[in-house]
Amino acid sequence: MKKTVPLFIGIAFGCFAVAEFYIPHHHVGALSNEFRQWAAILAASAFILGGVNILQVTWPQIRRREPDWRYKVVLLVSAAIMLLVGLPWHKLGSPAKTPTVERAATADAELAARGKAAITVVVDDDVTFMIAGKSAAGTGRPVVTEVDPGEVEVKLSRRVAGYRPLTAKVTVAAGERATVHGDPPMIWGRDGRVFVWIYDHIFSPANATMFALLAFFVASAAFRAFRARNVEAALLLAAAIFMMLGRAPLGRAISDVLPDVAQWLLDVPSNGGRRAIMMGAAIGAIATGLRVILGIERSHLGSDS
Amino acid sequence: MTALPWVDIVGYWIGIFLTICCLSFLYKDNPFYKLAEHLFIGVSVGYLIVLQYGDNIEPKVVGAVFRGEADGGWWVLRLVALVLVLMMFVKVVVPRWSWLGRYPLAFVVAFYAGLQINAVAQAELGAQIKFSAGNIDAVKVDLNTAPVDALIALPGSSGLVATKLVAERAQRPFVSVDDAVTRPSLTDLERADLAGARGNLIGLDAKAAVGPGQHDAFGIVSNLLLLAGLLSSLVYFYFSIAHRGVIGGVSRFGVWVLMIGFGASFGLTVQGRISLAIGRAYDVLGRTVDPADADRIHGPVVAVVSIALIAAGIALWERRARRDAGDQAGSRGQS
Amino acid sequence: MSAEHWSAKLQRFDRRWIFLVMAVAVVVPLFVPLGLPARPDPMTKAAFNAVEALPSCGPDDVPPKCARVFVSIDLDPASTPEIEPFYRAVVLHLKRKNAKLVFATTWYQAPPLVDRYLRETIEAAIAPAGTDGYDGAADRPYRKGIDYVNLGFRDGKGAIIQAFGSDLRGAFDHRADDGTRLDRIAMLDGVNKLSDFDLIVLVSAGNPGAKEYVQYVGTRNKLPMIAACTAVSTTDLAPYYQTGQLIGLVAGMAGSAGYETLVGKPGAGTAGADVLNIGNLVVIAAIVFGNVVFFAGRRYQRRGRTS
Repeated sequence: MKKTVPLFIGIAFGCFAVAEFYIPHHHVGALSNEFRQWAAILAASAFILGGVNILQVTWPQIRRREPDWRYKVVLLVSAAIMLLVGLPWHKLGSPAKTPTVERAATADAELAARGKAAITVVVDDDVTFMIAGKSAAGTGRPVVTEVDPGEVEVKLSRRVAGYRPLTAKVTVAAGERATVHGDPPMIWGRDGRVFVWIYDHIFSPANATMFALLAFFVASAAFRAFRARNVEAALLLAAAIFMMLGRAPLGRAISDVLPDVAQWLLDVPSNGGRRAIMMGAAIGAIATGLRVILGIERSHLGSDS
Repeated sequence: MTALPWVDIVGYWIGIFLTICCLSFLYKDNPFYKLAEHLFIGVSVGYLIVLQYGDNIEPKVVGAVFRGEADGGWWVLRLVALVLVLMMFVKVVVPRWSWLGRYPLAFVVAFYAGLQINAVAQAELGAQIKFSAGNIDAVKVDLNTAPVDALIALPGSSGLVATKLVAERAQRPFVSVDDAVTRPSLTDLERADLAGARGNLIGLDAKAAVGPGQHDAFGIVSNLLLLAGLLSSLVYFYFSIAHRGVIGGVSRFGVWVLMIGFGASFGLTVQGRISLAIGRAYDVLGRTVDPADADRIHGPVVAVVSIALIAAGIALWERRARRDAGDQAGSRGQS
Repeated sequence: MSAEHWSAKLQRFDRRWIFLVMAVAVVVPLFVPLGLPARPDPMTKAAFNAVEALPSCGPDDVPPKCARVFVSIDLDPASTPEIEPFYRAVVLHLKRKNAKLVFATTWYQAPPLVDRYLRETIEAAIAPAGTDGYDGAADRPYRKGIDYVNLGFRDGKGAIIQAFGSDLRGAFDHRADDGTRLDRIAMLDGVNKLSDFDLIVLVSAGNPGAKEYVQYVGTRNKLPMIAACTAVSTTDLAPYYQTGQLIGLVAGMAGSAGYETLVGKPGAGTAGADVLNIGNLVVIAAIVFGNVVFFAGRRYQRRGRTS
């Protein structure tokens, strides 16, 4: 049960995944699509499991007051906040609002004579409205827009994420005046105000800066580690320098030949070597895949101890 | 455009502060960096769980099984996927039954292995071998007869230029490359682009000619080098025979080709890394937002204040650490 | 006791000074730009030509008169400096042709970025009439469900990408990101898989991305695909461009700058490529100087042994 059944599962689904490529029958294709959905579901679940695991590992470190335990508290609290604001709390409240539309009791003769209607929008100054494809910012005071008679779509939204846009379809006849009021409500959840705010102002800058540190380390490594000790290393460094100069605008300013040299280096020696690596890696991947499917490779199933 | 809400302005300040906290790692590992790092990890964990559940588990499992949104009878099979997911999570709840997690793992590893076999066989082996076994010859494009697609691909050319060249040659065939690139229907900018792309090695003169059957000598040499590079690199990776004599020489050439490739890769990696730093500088200086918003955010001022605060904080932290170390050394000396 | 050679002192050089030089090299050119023009390379031109070859149509026309393009935005905040400029330029290029756009992503970090891009570049005009420094055709705000659809995010790496190639609707559970059923969206009539699109544009920061699209679905179905990638991935993807598995490749910030030049609207890519010049020079200087120090030290040591 512990090892034999997983082995058979691997053999069965692995062989199916290989064979389905060659069988054009639509039932096989449909079954294959369903198994791909399973793979997607399990991939997503693995991420969630990883997240839960981080929390499982962190809590004992806080309890035991290990070094840097206070930072682990920050980690747990921020994860908890993100989980909480990621829930769609707005769905617990009243149903989604729509803009209110009020119509004037009498028609405007001057407007009617010109064959026009008018829509007045009254929204806060942080709300944008769009009438018949043209957008404008709210001012807190009534803003009148003349439109052609017929059905007109009025869309209210906020420029920042996390607010549900409101749309009203207003049918107006010539001479008619209608007033639209609305306030796009804040939403929670994955598209919610707070969730996206945290993504934009905490996740995004931290993620980007962690990778930006590499620019400094690559400069340091260039000085301290990259030595042309032999012919091969010298070739590597020369190619790197040509590529750096050729791919930046400065290269063309120095000489028209540099960008062409860089492109040639990419097209000929780099592609030649890379193609060889690609082919070798492909053969390795096929061999490893076959070993997994045939049950020869079992390290991913762990040990029984 | 409406004004940026004050909450978002404060958000940009926090982002700039966190950026400087992360960059402080370049000085040394310090509490500000650790705070930013742990905050980032915590937010990432929460974000990941919400997103993966909402965008993948919810529609594919909850929607398909409990709301009947799957096609036809496929919801039954989706139940199997749900069981596999539960097996994956069993080890979190009951470690004794963690072996159940091998079932979904076996499926995922074997299924992906099977998919990958066909994918790499076709894309990495088949297509690459087919290309490599292709024609070594490099024939110049005949400006008087080539189709529009071939003319578009020439250095300095474009869709519009190619269309004009086709129209021009219909009126009067070209007698030389010089004649083609100076025809009156081309604009000054188009002529300048074509003039900038001239060259006998890999420029327009190498790729194009007037009259059929002309060969690009450097192109043929490049194709030969490409094939030689590929074969010699493959020889280098073949370790079943000793790399001596002729094989050793070919293998050495293969190593040189690989080194040039790695050098190109390194050069591009450097560019990529520097681009990341440029992106951060842009964000901090407010170049990625609307100018009206940037004026309200005052990014450079916030960055300078953050640097001052963090520098002062690190200085205090180092002083306290030195004092604590001194106290400890003193108490050890006394005991 | 002999004095330490200068090369030995320099080899122990505190690397934080190098960090400072790099920081200056990145920040100063932002205030004092060199202003060198960005010229597109052949791979970028090929990508541009692929989009240019798509048919143009009117705002109210429908496919097949209009091109239908699938755009996969697979990036994270860290890679935006390199490939977001390409995204903005290619979307302007596509909107000029009134192409119908279908968006999706396979990266979990991308959905809020995709939502922001749709708000800023699809639901609003990128270059309305009268835009400063832009002479090309103006674009217009796109209408959700009529001109564009956002399918959303699905995880699963190669498996889900292969599912796009055989059953796109099923891969997204028959719903767009906002919950609308796909069979109610007229612009998706006849679209069941990736081969039903006229072009596939991949904005790809890594794995899964352009490589997986080529491996799992592009080669098999002979799909017309162009890709933008980070500079790091260029050497991995260039062989696919050479074999025709990708019909265009826009590599890194320099490639994005080239695409902006071709579209006629210089932006963050062009400005960033300018700053790249000095950063590259710093690294080249570091390599050269580091080798000078190394060889000087080695020669000094050899002289010390022979004397």
